[in-house]
Amino acid sequence: MAAESLLALEGVGHRFGGLTVLRSVTFDVPERRIVGLIGPNGSGKTTLFNIVSGYIRPITGTIRFDGTPLVRDSIQRRGAAGLVRTFQTPQVFEKMTVLENVMVGCCKLTRTSMVQDLLRTPAARRQMKAIREQAEVACERFQLTALRHLPAASLSAGQRRILEIARAVVGRPRLLLLDEPSSGLNQSEIESLREWIVRLNQEGMTVLLVSHDMALMTVADTVHTLYFGEIIASGDMAAIQRDARVREVYLGV
Amino acid sequence: MRWSWPSLAVALVVWAILPLVVSRGTADLLVFTGIYSIAGLGIGLLLGHCGIVNLAQATFYGIGAYASAYCAVNLGLPAPVGFSVGALVSMALAYVIGRPVLRLTGYFLALGTLALSAIASALFFEWDWLTGGTLGIGGIPKLGLLGFALDRPSRYYYFVWIVAFGCMIVARNLVDSRTGLMLRAMRDSSTAAASLTVDIQGLRTRIFVVCALFGSIAGSLFAHHASFVSTQSFTVERSITFLLIPVIGGATSIPGIVVGALFVTFLPELLSKLGDFHQILFGLALVAVVVALPNGVMGAVESLWIRATRRSGHGG
Repeated sequence: MAAESLLALEGVGHRFGGLTVLRSVTFDVPERRIVGLIGPNGSGKTTLFNIVSGYIRPITGTIRFDGTPLVRDSIQRRGAAGLVRTFQTPQVFEKMTVLENVMVGCCKLTRTSMVQDLLRTPAARRQMKAIREQAEVACERFQLTALRHLPAASLSAGQRRILEIARAVVGRPRLLLLDEPSSGLNQSEIESLREWIVRLNQEGMTVLLVSHDMALMTVADTVHTLYFGEIIASGDMAAIQRDARVREVYLGV
Repeated sequence: MRWSWPSLAVALVVWAILPLVVSRGTADLLVFTGIYSIAGLGIGLLLGHCGIVNLAQATFYGIGAYASAYCAVNLGLPAPVGFSVGALVSMALAYVIGRPVLRLTGYFLALGTLALSAIASALFFEWDWLTGGTLGIGGIPKLGLLGFALDRPSRYYYFVWIVAFGCMIVARNLVDSRTGLMLRAMRDSSTAAASLTVDIQGLRTRIFVVCALFGSIAGSLFAHHASFVSTQSFTVERSITFLLIPVIGGATSIPGIVVGALFVTFLPELLSKLGDFHQILFGLALVAVVVALPNGVMGAVESLWIRATRRSGHGG
């Protein structure tokens, strides 16, 4: 139902030069649900993801976030509105510690002017203390406490992924966009990732998940299959796996 | 690496006694070290925390110097007016120019700031009604503080260094603050920082403005020290010297800025005693530092420190 959808894409299309990568994509992400997007390489998943998060402006179509048009908003405004993403290759802040990484995620919850920061006013100090405390709590929660003083560059792929998610959710977003979160992870790391997605969703987080990992995709309530810039099938994972067209174009059977 | 109280106290005593025991020439160089530390501090913030190469600092240094010179000599205004005019003009210019120029990245940004320095240097020469052109502006009065004339290097030293320490505290505050976090996030991955609502362009511009402010303060201090300012003090070459300060000392370390400033003020002077080759020797020394210590002197000291504390930690 439209009233409940947190994110609504309608007729979203894009092309790079003469190459059409998205034809006319329409789907909703209802509040408190996990929506998945699958598709073979080159199907337009990442482009669509970049359009939703604001890194690319689509040529056609509209995107609404909580009923408000989003297409003209900057990445930062989308972030402030409650939309946050992770990246296919985790983009941790390498030279900063794990705790500092998470603290950056908290920054949007507070406001100080740079003049206050330069003069280290009591307000600036209080806010910094609050940021640190929130980040400490988040580290504890995501089992990063033991690693919190290490530079993020020293983390394993799985730890980086968890850090990226911790950093994203500590700012209390409404919609979490996960781009290929299981890539580069081993089986047990994928299992822990899966638990995190489920747990965050149970706590009320809406998730849009892009992945080619069928096993991970079973966490999604609804899965859309993208093929050459079009959605060719939608439904729960079981239905998608039975869909003849999906099997033909994507699963190769 | 944290400074312990005893080492800080020793450093303070050395700092206080130094101008009293050294020659006038050395005290003069120490004044320049203080002035250059202030100018280099801004460049260090941009380089170490934003990854921006700023080759335009001589512009703001020049604006500060000319503002102080013009206000004091041509208009007969008190020194704080010159300092303020320089600071305001520099900050306004940095804001207006920073917006478009800081959209560039990497080499293009470095070249953009270099162009700014070249244009400013040409304008300082051409606008002789304001700057005196090659003849410059002379007779800039020495500063006085509470009836105490700061007319000798050994006296001006204290004033310059107190200002420098003030600027260092402000810079430290910034680095330790929420803004500092966002700066480093932006340096490490601007893509991810943007998604966490960090306003990349706004932040870069604001730090550029802070850098310009430091440049201008340094310029004003220079004008009142040298008593004479002219175009050759604000060339592109001076911008390069300022950039060397954080590169040599370590861009993320505040003591590193002082080390870098000592290097660019003292080394040419020491080497000049060796005759005609001194510029080549300075060049060689520079290459040696940059190649051997890619993170600057303080970067190397810090990693040695970490290694030493780890070893002693393991030992018991």
